Amino acid sequence: MPDPSSLTKSRTPRRQVTAPLLRRDSMGNAYHVLTFDLPEGMEALPGQFAMVRGAEWGDAPLLPRPMSFLTGGNRPSILIKVFGEGTIRMARAIPGEPFEILGPLGNTWPAVSPGKRPLLVAGGVGVAPLLYLARELSSAGEKPIAVYGGRSHRDLPLNEELADVSELYITTEDGSRGAAGRVTLPLPELLSDDVEVFTCGPDRMMAAVAELCAAKGIRCIASLETPMACGYGVCLGCPVKRAGGGYLYACTDGPCIDATSIDWGEGNHAPRRVERGER
Amino acid sequence: MSDQRIQIGGLTLQNPVLTASGTFGYGLEYDDFYDVATLGGICTKGLSREPRYGNPPERICETPAGMLNAIGLANVGVEFFCKEKLPVLRERGVTVVANIFASSVEDFVAITERLESETGVAAIELNVSCPNVSKGGIEFGRDPKLAAQVTAACKAATKLPLWVKMSPEAGDIVGVAKACEDAGADAVTAINTIRGMSIDTSTGRVRLANRTGGLSGPALRPIALRIVWDLVGALKIPVIGIGGVFTTEDAVEFMLAGASAVQVGTANFSDPLAANKIRLGIAEYCAARGLTASQLIGRGRPEGA
Repeated sequence: MPDPSSLTKSRTPRRQVTAPLLRRDSMGNAYHVLTFDLPEGMEALPGQFAMVRGAEWGDAPLLPRPMSFLTGGNRPSILIKVFGEGTIRMARAIPGEPFEILGPLGNTWPAVSPGKRPLLVAGGVGVAPLLYLARELSSAGEKPIAVYGGRSHRDLPLNEELADVSELYITTEDGSRGAAGRVTLPLPELLSDDVEVFTCGPDRMMAAVAELCAAKGIRCIASLETPMACGYGVCLGCPVKRAGGGYLYACTDGPCIDATSIDWGEGNHAPRRVERGER
Repeated sequence: MSDQRIQIGGLTLQNPVLTASGTFGYGLEYDDFYDVATLGGICTKGLSREPRYGNPPERICETPAGMLNAIGLANVGVEFFCKEKLPVLRERGVTVVANIFASSVEDFVAITERLESETGVAAIELNVSCPNVSKGGIEFGRDPKLAAQVTAACKAATKLPLWVKMSPEAGDIVGVAKACEDAGADAVTAINTIRGMSIDTSTGRVRLANRTGGLSGPALRPIALRIVWDLVGALKIPVIGIGGVFTTEDAVEFMLAGASAVQVGTANFSDPLAANKIRLGIAEYCAARGLTASQLIGRGRPEGA
C-alpha cells in the first residue's frame, strides 16, 4: 500500500469554509485569477491546493475542483483556465459570490537542497504553484531559474510576474514568443549538477522533464495534476502509478512527489480528463 | 431535543445518520473537521481478506448531478484494519460498521470471523453489490440463492448484526432482499451504485480505465428511493436508505419512505461536513414537529403500504 510521502505534510489544519470571492481578474485567453477572502488560520504554503466549489452551484457541477494556490495568506488566489462546467462558472463569478473552500490540502514543495539552485519548469496553468514558490524563494534571496512553456504567447498567463522573481526562459510551440519548441527545449543546457528541478504542468510534459532529470541523476519534484473528488484521501480517485508497483495518491501522498517514485508509463498520462486549470 | 435513537435489529444507533462505505475512508480522515463519534455510525471502506491496490486511473469522473467511480475496492485489508484502524476508532467511541467484500463464500466467512474476534465492531455490512471488480461482488447480489448462501454462511460465523448491501442491478431486488432476510440478515442497505459510462468527445475515449463505473450522487436518488420504498413494503427487517443523500431533506425523504436510517456517501466529497450537517438537520426537523427520529420511519407511507 502507498506509504506516506517523504515530503513535507500540511502544517495548517484543513478546514472547509464558505468564503466570498474578493475579485476576479481576467488574464486573457480564458485565464482568470480568483482571489478569496478567507478567515484566519487557513494559510497555505507553496505547493498546497484547495478544493473549490461555488456555494450556489446546486447539484451540477457536483464536485469541488482541486486548485493550486497561486498566493497564500488570508486572501489567497488561484489561477484557472476555462475548460469545463466548473471553470466556466468560476470565470463568470462576481465579487461577493460565495464559494466553498476546503484547504489547505496536500504537501508543500520540499526545501531546496543545500548548495543547489532551483530550476522551475512550468506548463500552462502549472505555473500557479511554481510562481508561488518562485516568489517565496526570491523573497528569501534565492532567485530561481524558470522555464515556462505554452502553445503560443497567449498561453503564458502570469509570465511577467514570473519574470519579476526568476531568471526566465520562455518557449512556445508556435514560436510566437521566446524559443520555438516545447518547454523541454532549453533543459539540456540548464540541467547541471548544481540544480534541482520543480515542475508542474501536463503529465506528458512532466514525464519528459522527469526523464531528462533521471538521465542526469538530478532531483526532480513534480506537482501532480489528476481528477479528484474529495482532496483528502477518502475517494481514492487520484491514483498515480508508483514506480515498482501500486499507486500513490495525488492528494495525500502529494501533490508534490519525487519524480523517481512515479511510474511515468502510459497509464499515468492518458488523455486529459480533468478540466484544464484544475489539478 | 428529540430522541434520535434508532433501532436496527438488535443494534441501537444514537441517530439515523451513517456514512457510506467507500466515501469516508476508515473514519480517521475527518479529525480536522468534526468528531465522527457523533454520527449514528460509519461504514468502513470495503475490507477484503488481503489488501488491494484497486483499479488503474482514471477511476472517477463527474456526470450530471453525479459521478462515476471505478475504484476497484482499494483497501488496507481486514488484518491491517483490525490492527491499525479499529483500535483508534474504538478508543474514540465511533460506531463502526465494517463493510466487507470477497469473491468467494469462504473468504466472506474468513473476514467475518476475523472481525468477530475483535471488539468495537457494531455490525458487518456485506458488499454483495460492487459493480467495479471483475470477480466477486455483484454476482452474489444478483442471484437470490447466492445472496442467501453468503448471508447464511456469514451469519453462522458471527453474533454481530449482519447487514446486506443491495445491488440495484438485481433483476428481482425484492427477491434477493427477501432471500437475505430468510437467511438471517438483520437489515438491508439499499442501494449500491448503478453502472454507467462516460466518453470524452474531445479525445474520443471512454473516460474510465475500467470502462464502466458506479453512478452515485443526486442523479441516483429517485431510483434509490423507489427501491427503498419497495423493500420496506416487502421486508420485516429494517432497510437503510442510501443514494444521493446530500441534504437533511433528502435524508428525511428516505425515512418517510420507511428507511430506518440513511447513509451519506458522495456528499462527503462535496462537503466533508455533510453527514454532520444532516445529523443536526434531522434533529431540528424532528424537534420542530415534536417527533422522535424513529417516528419519521415510514411516515410518508399510506396506512398498510
